[in-house]
Amino acid sequence: MDLAATIVLNGLTLAALYFIVASGFSLIFGLMRVVNMAHGAMYLVAGYVGYSVFEPLYDHDLWYAWYAGLAAGVAFAAVFGALVQVLLLGWMQGQELRQALVTIGLSIVVADQLLAMYGGTPRQFFAPDAIFGSTRVPGIGGYPTFRLVQIGVAVAVGVGLWLLLNRTKLGMMIRAGVDDRQMLGACGVNVPLVGVAVFSLGAALAGLGGIIGATAQPLAMGADGRFLLISLVVVIVGGMGSVTGTALGAVLIGLAEQIGQAMFPTYSVVLTFVIMVVVLALRPQGILGRA
Amino acid sequence: MLEVRDLHVRFGQAHILQGVSLSVGERPVAIVGRNGMGKTTLCQAVMGLVATSEGGIAFGGRRLNGMPPYRIARRGVALVPQGRRTFPSLSVDEHLRLVAVPGASWNIERVYRTFPRLAERRRNGGAELSGGEQQMLAIARALLMNPKLVIMDEPSEGLAPVIVDQLIAVLRGLPADGMGVLLVEQNLRVATEVAEDVAIMVTGRIAAAMPAARLVGDQELQRRYLGVAAGGR
Repeated sequence: MDLAATIVLNGLTLAALYFIVASGFSLIFGLMRVVNMAHGAMYLVAGYVGYSVFEPLYDHDLWYAWYAGLAAGVAFAAVFGALVQVLLLGWMQGQELRQALVTIGLSIVVADQLLAMYGGTPRQFFAPDAIFGSTRVPGIGGYPTFRLVQIGVAVAVGVGLWLLLNRTKLGMMIRAGVDDRQMLGACGVNVPLVGVAVFSLGAALAGLGGIIGATAQPLAMGADGRFLLISLVVVIVGGMGSVTGTALGAVLIGLAEQIGQAMFPTYSVVLTFVIMVVVLALRPQGILGRA
Repeated sequence: MLEVRDLHVRFGQAHILQGVSLSVGERPVAIVGRNGMGKTTLCQAVMGLVATSEGGIAFGGRRLNGMPPYRIARRGVALVPQGRRTFPSLSVDEHLRLVAVPGASWNIERVYRTFPRLAERRRNGGAELSGGEQQMLAIARALLMNPKLVIMDEPSEGLAPVIVDQLIAVLRGLPADGMGVLLVEQNLRVATEVAEDVAIMVTGRIAAAMPAARLVGDQELQRRYLGVAAGGR
């Protein structure tokens, strides 16, 4: 019973991280129809940039080291995302294949640059004392506090995105742009600029995931590919461009991974793809996707 | 206000607009013609939604060709597109708030006074409206931008006759707000009741332009250009 509850909680904390990263991916795809293959690279670059801000501060025992690293990583990813849209992808609006190829190339360049600068040693953030250590969870016992915080951050991201999309003028523009991009332009809205904002926000969420992820487990080369793949699977399962769908997809995939690893470790890798295949066969637009 | 000169639009091999020249001033202008003659393409070209290959579009002395739609819109052109193209994800009220200009002559209160049906449906999504309600919303969305010129592409399409009468009344009032009107219509009654000048479009060209009264009175002309049987529409 304890074990089952722990596995479920592990699945949910993993799902929280997946949701944070994949929601950015889904947001970008929803408005821009860009399959951002550099989304994992944004996760990775934010982790490393955040770490290089975090490390010297942490060595000086400054309490805000982790927060500064978080802010730096997220801010860097946001600017990086905006630049990618302005300098590269904005020129090929509507050419999905070219955009996918360009972002694949970009992620290779980014990964190699990071390898050259930081080497291959894994890095890990240490969470500040307030969210470090363990908390007693009823029915489970001691559980790492940070992983609970992770769930809190994911819920905050979800609520924040919902409020942004449903309660602000930018949100109205994004939703209208998903429906009919051309008509939104004819209404006098600078759609390319909205696109830059969305791209920047999506990249910032990847960056937030990068810092959170690198606090929960070590950050190493290859995380970019892993989180890109996870984002793809999560939004394919949940439905492209739907925040709720992304949350649902993340929970399904997170739980499947953890349960699979506990029950049949050898074949657990296959489980997520089985879910994806089943969803694609029965409901190609994703569980909550619009046809 | 709007000057279109020898405008050509091609989609690949298809030569859709073959040298359209047209000018719209203070008085409403209507364009009539059969299906597939290029009327919608002309509207889209002026709004910047399709690329033009030759010729010029000038608005208030400024060349519009190649400008992105949002800059054309900000110069004072609004489009009520064919098929309404309201946003399914936005409520009626959100459509209006998206484009409303604070303190302008057309504001949200005036829209709700003019189209009381929209006020009743303000919380409903764009996808939950009837065809007529969607059309009112598309018109309201354009008027709220307080444009200098509003282009309407078949606004009466699919509307019940009683709503068409209401539509005509709204359109006839627009020049009083200082709004220019370019109206594309299949419905000859709407075209001629709103506009005093009518242009007839045939295979990508303006084949003839005349006072509306003359077209109304000449069934031979109607038969030749519009394929309307005597006494029809």
